[in-house]
Amino acid sequence: MSIEQRPRRCGGWLERLIQHARVRSPWLLHFDCGSCNGCDIEVLACLTPLYDVERFGIVNVGNPLHADLLLVTGTVNRRNARVLANLYRQMAAPKKVVAIGACGLSGGIFREADNVIGGIDRIIPVDCYVPGCPPRPEAIIDGVMRVLERFGTGHPKEDVAKGKGIP
Amino acid sequence: MRRAVIPFGPQHPVLPEPLQLKLSLKDEVVVEALPALGYVHRGLESLATKRDFHQMVQVCERVCGICSVLHAICYCQGIEEIMGIAVPDRARYLRVIWGELLRLHSHLLWMGLFADSLGFESLFMQLWRIREQVLDIQEATTGNRVISGVIRIGGVCRDIDDAQRGWIQTTLAAVDRAVRQIAPVLREDFTICARTVGKGILSAEKARELGAVGPVLRASGIAQDIRQTGYAAYGELDFNPVIETAGDCHARCMVRLGEIHQSIDLIGQALARLPQGAIRNPVHGKPTGETVMRVEQPRGEVLYYLRADGGKTLARMHIRTPTFANVPVLIDLLPGLGLADVPVVVLSIDPCISCLER
Amino acid sequence: MSDLILRGVAGLLAGPLLGGLTSGLDRILTARLQARQGPPLQQPYYDVVKLLAKELVVVNAWQAFCVYSHLFATVLAVVLFALQADLLLILFTEAVGAVFLVMGAMASTSPYSQIGAHRELLQILVYEPLLFLVAIGIYLETGSFRLTAVFQWPVPLITQLPLLFGVLCLVLVIKLRKSPFDLSAATHAHQELVRGLFTDFSGPLLGLIEIAHWYETVLMLAFCGLFWAGGLLPMTTLALAAVMGVILMDNATARLNWRWLLGYGWLAGMTLSLINLIWHFRGAG
Repeated sequence: MSIEQRPRRCGGWLERLIQHARVRSPWLLHFDCGSCNGCDIEVLACLTPLYDVERFGIVNVGNPLHADLLLVTGTVNRRNARVLANLYRQMAAPKKVVAIGACGLSGGIFREADNVIGGIDRIIPVDCYVPGCPPRPEAIIDGVMRVLERFGTGHPKEDVAKGKGIP
Repeated sequence: MRRAVIPFGPQHPVLPEPLQLKLSLKDEVVVEALPALGYVHRGLESLATKRDFHQMVQVCERVCGICSVLHAICYCQGIEEIMGIAVPDRARYLRVIWGELLRLHSHLLWMGLFADSLGFESLFMQLWRIREQVLDIQEATTGNRVISGVIRIGGVCRDIDDAQRGWIQTTLAAVDRAVRQIAPVLREDFTICARTVGKGILSAEKARELGAVGPVLRASGIAQDIRQTGYAAYGELDFNPVIETAGDCHARCMVRLGEIHQSIDLIGQALARLPQGAIRNPVHGKPTGETVMRVEQPRGEVLYYLRADGGKTLARMHIRTPTFANVPVLIDLLPGLGLADVPVVVLSIDPCISCLER
Repeated sequence: MSDLILRGVAGLLAGPLLGGLTSGLDRILTARLQARQGPPLQQPYYDVVKLLAKELVVVNAWQAFCVYSHLFATVLAVVLFALQADLLLILFTEAVGAVFLVMGAMASTSPYSQIGAHRELLQILVYEPLLFLVAIGIYLETGSFRLTAVFQWPVPLITQLPLLFGVLCLVLVIKLRKSPFDLSAATHAHQELVRGLFTDFSGPLLGLIEIAHWYETVLMLAFCGLFWAGGLLPMTTLALAAVMGVILMDNATARLNWRWLLGYGWLAGMTLSLINLIWHFRGAG
């Protein structure tokens, strides 16, 4: 599996232990940012017996203060942009963001609608994009796993994007 | 205790969707509930003037991912009425099958979330496990798990072959058995009854007055189901609206439980009588005229108003969704409830915020 | 003396070792009961290490103080148990720890946290008297509050005080935050208060609360074990049986509200304890 193949960062045993724990225990926060529900129910389906992401230690905590991963579905509009930025700010470092579905990537089918700003990355930095309308649960799990690899290697880019779209 | 205001949402684990309820509490009892909307508003109706009327089928499906096929059916029926297109018999039956599959998975999904709002996590897991079988049928017949994209103006674009028919029947029989096994828990379990019986009672008069639709209305004892008007192939199938009379959260749950069996039965009937022939009639020209079309969704009656003046795009599209009709009911039910009952009552109307705000 | 130190160290280690494993076992069993595979057994350790290494966000200085006090008091209670001290002293220490957690939650302004704290206080009001009734039952049976006497008692207490063991299991349901009485904070955030009591604790502080919860679990299970204190094996068997019962209960019920907790939990607990005590008195008299 891909987690095992990630390049190991040099460091003391404590650092390695922490990295290991971070990869094995991602708590996620799901925010529906104006999606049509298609992606939301697929995110929820990931928690249920057939897909059971608790195998990987993933728990849906529903509280930004506790979460490591932010899963965002849907387009950003002028009202929820602030909520999204706020949730991201409330999360404690290190944190990662996964944008789910065509709408979360670019605005998708609603791109030209009146009240749509666009994809999630207009407001907050995104670490992984999961395409699909809606993406299958397998794709969502794969996206989350790819982000977890980055907990092990990269340095988190914590700066909040300039936020072209925030009203 | 002093009055506390709880911002219930827009991000809250009980609601997968961003509805905000500002709850004023006094000793954990709701005094006032104010909904704050707009978090999912996309301005979808405006797309009707920007996209080709054929493309709008796909947009309508994405008004809401859990009611998708039925939005598309309603839109297509409206356009077909304006343009005077006859839909082939086989397509009408296929629309019924996919519509009822959607109702089936939507109700199972709702029931799981309802159990979750009661703090009954294992029931949530079991119900969603059953639901996966319905999604398997959706995937095998339409190619996608949630948003199917099979409805077209003038018919449908995919067919169900004979081998699939048998397999669908056996899978649905398994779903039926599994739901029957779980039903006593929902109906009689002590803790579930303690949380749902007598909570959020809506009388029949009040339901009419507030304009409730769908299972909320039927749980108050009013037998009104838009499927009775006989659109698609419903006129040729046998069914009666499921009703309950208590009007509380438990009754709403029981109505949906009854409708799960009803949907399985309707799919069985439609599969048995599926006529041979074409699945799609060609569409020529551009629509001119206006119409109102109603369809029964899992959450109740959806209403489409369409106006076209001969162009490539429509001149106006308006959608009145079932949740829009049921929110006044919710606001009426909440005051006087304990905080612990709020998620239960909110979920009992099966709120679909992306439908509500479009 | 060296014996005492050894026992103290054993008590200190019991929390992270036994508590963490119980928590992991709990998650696996719960998942299996829900037709899922569940996380690996060592999952709680991953969670705690990750939490401890997260960025520290303190809403208010009192919060941190209360968490440290909460942890200290619960660890002390377990160590006192390992030293076979006085039962009442252990109970009081444990109660102090529980109250500090409530104070920590009250120190923040979030309404979820506040209401969670109120509910936790109600829970403490329900289970503390019941715990003391259990202790009194043990005293009446063995003639001493000291654990050394309890451990030397020849007959398993469960044969004499079966109803009180039932009461202790009820307390266990509340203490482990399980359905139907997971009012103030559920293990998973699927409730109206998000995570109730824990809403405003994050990162390292939440990790410390989790460790304190392990110690609490060990303490409660050790209490259960007291009812068959004829060595390590019977104690563990009884404690495991109690945990299994609680997990089964958790997966077979919906959450009830605080009226039910007061009306049924408290009333049932009180009645059971009193019946057992009166019956025991008459038997002794």
